[in-house]
Amino acid sequence: MNVIEINQLTKYYGKHRGIENVSFSVDRGEIFGFIGPNGAGKSTTIRALLSLIHPTSGSATIFGKDCIKYGSEIRRDIGYLPSEVFYYEHMKVREVLNYSASFYDNVDYRRIESLSEVMDLDLNKRIDDLSYGNKKKVGIVQGLLHEPRLIILDEPTGGLDPLMQQKFFDLIRAENQNGATVLFSSHILSEVQKLCGRVAIIKDGTIVRVENIRDMQKHNYKKFTLDYKGIIDVHHFNLEGITNLTVNENTLHFLFKGDINRIVERLQGQNLFNLLVEEPTLEEIFMHYYQKEDQP
Amino acid sequence: MNILKQELRMGRKALVAWCISLIAVLSLFMLLYPSISDQLEEFQQVFQSFPIEFQQAAGVADLDLSSILSFYQFALTYVLLAGAIQAMNMGVSVISAEVREKTGDFLFVKPVSRNRVISMKILAVLVQILITNAVVFTAALILVTLLSTDSYDFKLFTLVTMSLLFLQVFFASLGFFVSVFLRRIRTVLPISMGVVIIFYIIHLLNETLKDAKLGLVSPFDYFNLSEITKNMNYDSLNLLLWFVLVGLFIFLTYTLFARKDLPSI
Repeated sequence: MNVIEINQLTKYYGKHRGIENVSFSVDRGEIFGFIGPNGAGKSTTIRALLSLIHPTSGSATIFGKDCIKYGSEIRRDIGYLPSEVFYYEHMKVREVLNYSASFYDNVDYRRIESLSEVMDLDLNKRIDDLSYGNKKKVGIVQGLLHEPRLIILDEPTGGLDPLMQQKFFDLIRAENQNGATVLFSSHILSEVQKLCGRVAIIKDGTIVRVENIRDMQKHNYKKFTLDYKGIIDVHHFNLEGITNLTVNENTLHFLFKGDINRIVERLQGQNLFNLLVEEPTLEEIFMHYYQKEDQP
Repeated sequence: MNILKQELRMGRKALVAWCISLIAVLSLFMLLYPSISDQLEEFQQVFQSFPIEFQQAAGVADLDLSSILSFYQFALTYVLLAGAIQAMNMGVSVISAEVREKTGDFLFVKPVSRNRVISMKILAVLVQILITNAVVFTAALILVTLLSTDSYDFKLFTLVTMSLLFLQVFFASLGFFVSVFLRRIRTVLPISMGVVIIFYIIHLLNETLKDAKLGLVSPFDYFNLSEITKNMNYDSLNLLLWFVLVGLFIFLTYTLFARKDLPSI
């Protein structure tokens, strides 16, 4: 069953494009990554799912129900952590969390204590005395305290130190193992790589592709580094499937997707000093999606 | 109910400050009464020596300082003005606060509909207006009773004092509407002060012009204190207009806000 199903979702802010014909779906129980650079439309998509904004056209359903029409009902089972967190400044952390909990039925208030303990959050401080990272922790606890079936994270790790990031990821994984579905939006690929099974890549408001992270890394791309003894003939590698080709003094880098024998053929007779074939990082694959249009 | 509780909690300090200020304004004027009541004749003469236009603009043309209630009306004018600003302030800020303080991403992803949020916020403002009115009414009653030498008409006192409630409800609902109509509100006080003072100036202008149509523009004219004294009741056309406008503002608040996109931070 699909927990999230987005169908041709389009949002224009006046003439300004938000997203265009975004479609993808998230299965129950998966941790789904949503990556793209700033301004690509990640937050717009997420805000439409939460009915904070109204789509220009297209639709989205969560748990099989229309996001706008059944918004308040659906949101009972959603935990949301925005990229920037703001709370009522004059309240104490505990008061904000209790207020948050008061919106849900059957909340186990002990969860506030236990989650705060894991995240090392002081419940007796006032919100306006908290650092950015600590506010983020409040966000994490308030997003998870009602045991949501769907967790939506919009660039959640900003402001968290690496140790806290790790604890946060552990929390998310634990929630996921207990059955929660996760939509994880980020522009930091290594964290998506760590956590997610599938990713949707968004660029300039449209989905470029939805892929399995494993497939993306293992089966499709190879990263080549060639050290030359002599002069590099770039045109020699004018081959379909080669991208991100860069020349740096005597070194040639490129990504290749396709039949590896094609490259081996080309390598014959080349005067090489060294040859390196690696798995590309997600960053490198990702850059390729973004630069595709700029490169010949 | 949790939203109502939260709103009342957050508005608590401002409410106390406003109530104290309103009482202070009223007391300040009312406590002048004993000292000038001996010289009422002279005061009346001073006022009457002014050009009639000035008298009208200052709101003293029909002023009859001979009784405590007419002096009370003079004092109450300033309470009405301040109370209108308070109400409009609450109206404008109660919904826009979630956007200004960027807490909208907290509240509006909770499992409550926007209509319910609006209802609770309107209810919270109404409760605060009722508290303000109860406080002002009590304070005014004490002041007038203590300072009056003769008996006074309690019905008239009630009618005159209750105009604060009507004005506050009007300006609060105008405030709701303005706050959902404008795209983004950064500061509240300039908007609420500006709007209230413009309406007040229109009212003062109309004191001179006495134009029936212009009288429909400013809510301060709907509850013209000297008219209320003359007729011993509110004007029914004005009351109807008040009712229609308040209803319209609140209806538009719901419909506009339901369609509104909450800007991302």
